[in-house]
Amino acid sequence: MTTGAAAATAARSACQPAGGQWSREVTDLARATTGALLFGIPLLYTMEVWWAGVRATPPQALVILALALVAVVVLNHTSGFRRTRDVRLADAVADGVEVVGLCLVLATVLLFLLGELTLDTPRSVALGKIAYETLPLSIGAAVAAQFLRESRDGDPGEEASDDDAEPRDASSATLNDLGATVIGAVFIAMNIAPTDEIPMLDSAMGAPRVLALLVASLLVSYAIVFVAGFSGQSRRHNQQGPLQHPLTETIVCYLVSLVVAGALLWMFNRTEGPWSVSLSHIVVLGLPAAVGGAAGRIAI
Amino acid sequence: MAGVSRRTVPELVTLTVSSLVLALVIVLLVLQIAAGNDPARPVVTVGAIVERGEGGFHVPVSVRNRGDRAAASVQVTASLTTGATTVEADQVVDFLGVDETEELVFVFGSDPAAGELAVAVAGFADP
Repeated sequence: MTTGAAAATAARSACQPAGGQWSREVTDLARATTGALLFGIPLLYTMEVWWAGVRATPPQALVILALALVAVVVLNHTSGFRRTRDVRLADAVADGVEVVGLCLVLATVLLFLLGELTLDTPRSVALGKIAYETLPLSIGAAVAAQFLRESRDGDPGEEASDDDAEPRDASSATLNDLGATVIGAVFIAMNIAPTDEIPMLDSAMGAPRVLALLVASLLVSYAIVFVAGFSGQSRRHNQQGPLQHPLTETIVCYLVSLVVAGALLWMFNRTEGPWSVSLSHIVVLGLPAAVGGAAGRIAI
Repeated sequence: MAGVSRRTVPELVTLTVSSLVLALVIVLLVLQIAAGNDPARPVVTVGAIVERGEGGFHVPVSVRNRGDRAAASVQVTASLTTGATTVEADQVVDFLGVDETEELVFVFGSDPAAGELAVAVAGFADP
C-alpha cells in the first residue's frame, strides 16, 4: 500500500462519531448529485437522448450501464466524489457502484418530474431512457470533487483558507451572490432556452409536476450551496447581510434564476403564448437555471 | 478487499442500497432479453366515437406494439363506407417502442355508426 493509499483509507475510516459519519456521507452524496446535475442536466433536456433511450434494445441498455460503471471507476481513481481520493481499485469499484446506483435513482426521479416517465410508460422504454440519462449523470458525479475548487482531506487547505477568510461586507456579498447567480444561470440555461424541449416537456408535465419541479429546484439549489461541502460553505453559513441566511439566499437566488430563465425564453421568442403557459415554461427552465445559479455562487 | 472492509457504516449502507438498485435494473433488462425477440406487432383498438358538432365525428384509435421489437413509420388507415361512398384516411406514427401505445383521432364528416368503419395497421418499418 502506498503512503497516499494509507492516508486516504485512514482518513475515510477515521474514528468519527456515528452522526459525523452520516453527515459526511450525506455531504458526499450531495456533492455527487451536484456534479451529476451540472454535467448531465443539458442532456436531460435533450429529446434525442430520450429517443435514444426509447429505441434502445435491452442489450444496448446493459452496455450503456456497463460503460457508465467502467467510466466512473476510472474517474474515481483520479477524481471521484468524496473528499478522499480512491487509490485502491476496490474502493474505486465500490464508489463506482454507488455513483451508478445514485444516478439511476436520480435519472428516474428527474425523468418522472419532467413527465418523460409516467406510471404508464412501458418497462422497456423506461429502462432505456433511464440508462441513457444515467451515463452522463454518472460521469458528472464521478468528477464532482474536481468541480468548483473542492479541496480534499490531506491536500493543501484551499477550502480551509477559503472558509477561514473574513466574511465579506454584507452588501457586497449580497450583490456578488446575485451577480454570480445570474452568470451561472445564464451559463447553463442559455444552452437549453432556444430548444424545443422546454415547450415539449411543459406540455407533457401538467401543473402538479411543474409545482414538484419548482420544489425540487429549490432543494437542489440549497443542497449545492449549503450541503455539498464545496469551497466556502462554512463561510456562506456565517455570512451576514439582508439576503444571506441560507433559506433566504436560496429562495431569492431561485427567483433570480427564474427571471434569467424568463429573459432567455423571451430573447428566443418562447414567451408568446398565454402568461400561464409562459410561466410554466419558465419553471421548467428554472431547474437548469437554478443549478447553474447555485454553482455560480460557489464558483465566483 | 481491505479497502472495502474499512468503509464506514453509512458508506456500507449506501453501497448496499446502490448495489440493490443496480442489480434490480440489470435483472429487469436480462428478463427483457429472455422474454424473446419477436418482430414488432402493432395492433389497433377503436374507442368510443364522439360527435363534435361542426367538428365532425371523432374516432379515437389506440395503436399498441405488442411485439418484442420497436416499429417505425407505423401507418394506420381508417375507412368509412356509407352506402356507395367510401371515405379513407391514414396517419403515421413515427416510432412505437415495445409495449408503447399512441393515441390517434380520425375525424369523419358523417356518423361512423351509420356506416361500416374499418381501422387497420397498413404497415411499418423495422427501425
